[in-house]
Amino acid sequence: MPTIHRNPNVMWREEDDALAEAGDALARGEDAGEIGTAVLFSGGTMLSVNYLGMEIWKLCDNRTVDGIVAELLEQFEVEEDVLRTDVRAFLDELAVKGFIVYAE
Amino acid sequence: MRNDTIPQLQAPLTINWAINNSCNFACSHCYSREDTHEELPRDVLYACLEKVARAGVFSVNFGGGEPLLHPQLLEIAAFASGLGLRVSMNSNGWLLDGEKAVALKAAGFTKVGISIDSHIADVHDTFRGVAGSHARALAALGHLQSVGIATSISTVICRINSTTIDELVEMALRHGAGQLNFHNFKCSGLGLANKDDLDLTPDEWKEFYRHALVVKKSVKGLDVSLDDPIIALLGERDAGSLVKGSVCGKLSLNIKANGDMTPCGFIPIVIGNIVRDDLRQVWKDSAVLEKMRNKQPTGKCSGCSKYEDCLGGCTARALALTGDMNSPDPHCWGDDEPSR
Repeated sequence: MPTIHRNPNVMWREEDDALAEAGDALARGEDAGEIGTAVLFSGGTMLSVNYLGMEIWKLCDNRTVDGIVAELLEQFEVEEDVLRTDVRAFLDELAVKGFIVYAE
Repeated sequence: MRNDTIPQLQAPLTINWAINNSCNFACSHCYSREDTHEELPRDVLYACLEKVARAGVFSVNFGGGEPLLHPQLLEIAAFASGLGLRVSMNSNGWLLDGEKAVALKAAGFTKVGISIDSHIADVHDTFRGVAGSHARALAALGHLQSVGIATSISTVICRINSTTIDELVEMALRHGAGQLNFHNFKCSGLGLANKDDLDLTPDEWKEFYRHALVVKKSVKGLDVSLDDPIIALLGERDAGSLVKGSVCGKLSLNIKANGDMTPCGFIPIVIGNIVRDDLRQVWKDSAVLEKMRNKQPTGKCSGCSKYEDCLGGCTARALALTGDMNSPDPHCWGDDEPSR
């Protein structure tokens, strides 16, 4: 199974205020999906990602999809199949934009 | 997991930093000819760069003036690069030979933009006020590419070049530039003084952008960049941006040679000084930036179906020509009467 790597040319940072807002929402059991907690930028393309997206991005460090999903299952209460589908879709989008690469 | 818009950022993503204001050229549209010549000492500049990096800024684009005239540019760039900042520069290319390109690479420059305003050497040289400048600008592109620095060509669209899009693209392709930036004409500094000779009419801007967008979509191997929010009138926007309207004060900030911060290089309103002030605080609390981020439609913008995307167009241009940031962009070719 291929491993996933962040493109080192991508500049990224977490947004402190938005991160705190998302943390508060999650603590209240609310949906934080619409809160962009981080921004990724490369080659004139910018992405705003939510809390889950950011956690996936940070795990793109030589792990497999299974490895990323396993790590996230420890953090989020979500069905594994649903999570795996979402993770794959997000990673594919990042790959198309050149933000990550898959390596065998 | 991805959002289509971004919240208010905690700091700019990029800083356009006029590291000096000295220049060896005499361009007809220069926006900074009358700017301060006071420059920050190197050690003060280092402290400011540390402040910028701590705030979370991604990149610094040095400009001026002509940054290559700054005697300590290389060490300042190396210091910035060492802080993790992505370093780039805009230059006229005159001083950029093979040896300088090697030094720029070693200092950490990842991208350099060279200003070229025409595919015709004589036209460019006359506009820039220096004979031979076109040839040296093109040579600079080659020197940069030979050391692996990404290159772009910056062209300020005005009366001398607005009908030569195809020729400019052909020139960029022939000389291996990765990007061709068509900058919209700003009415600042000499650009304002020479407006009548250089600026296009709204209908001419419409024709320019119509053609430029066709070329942008069809050309291969070259990124044609159009940074003008009024292309929203043609149903287009900068594909890579998550903000509507102008990016100034939303994604980027300008710093002058003396440390004064302004929303962009073409808006002469000082909102703080990087030596004295906290960058994140200024970015968050500036009333000027707040106004730019929350523009209100006036005049023909009121009721315009495109306003939601263009947000009145270029704020600098509206301010320069009307004194009001909320005025419609003077380049706008939309209907003069608001729709009801």
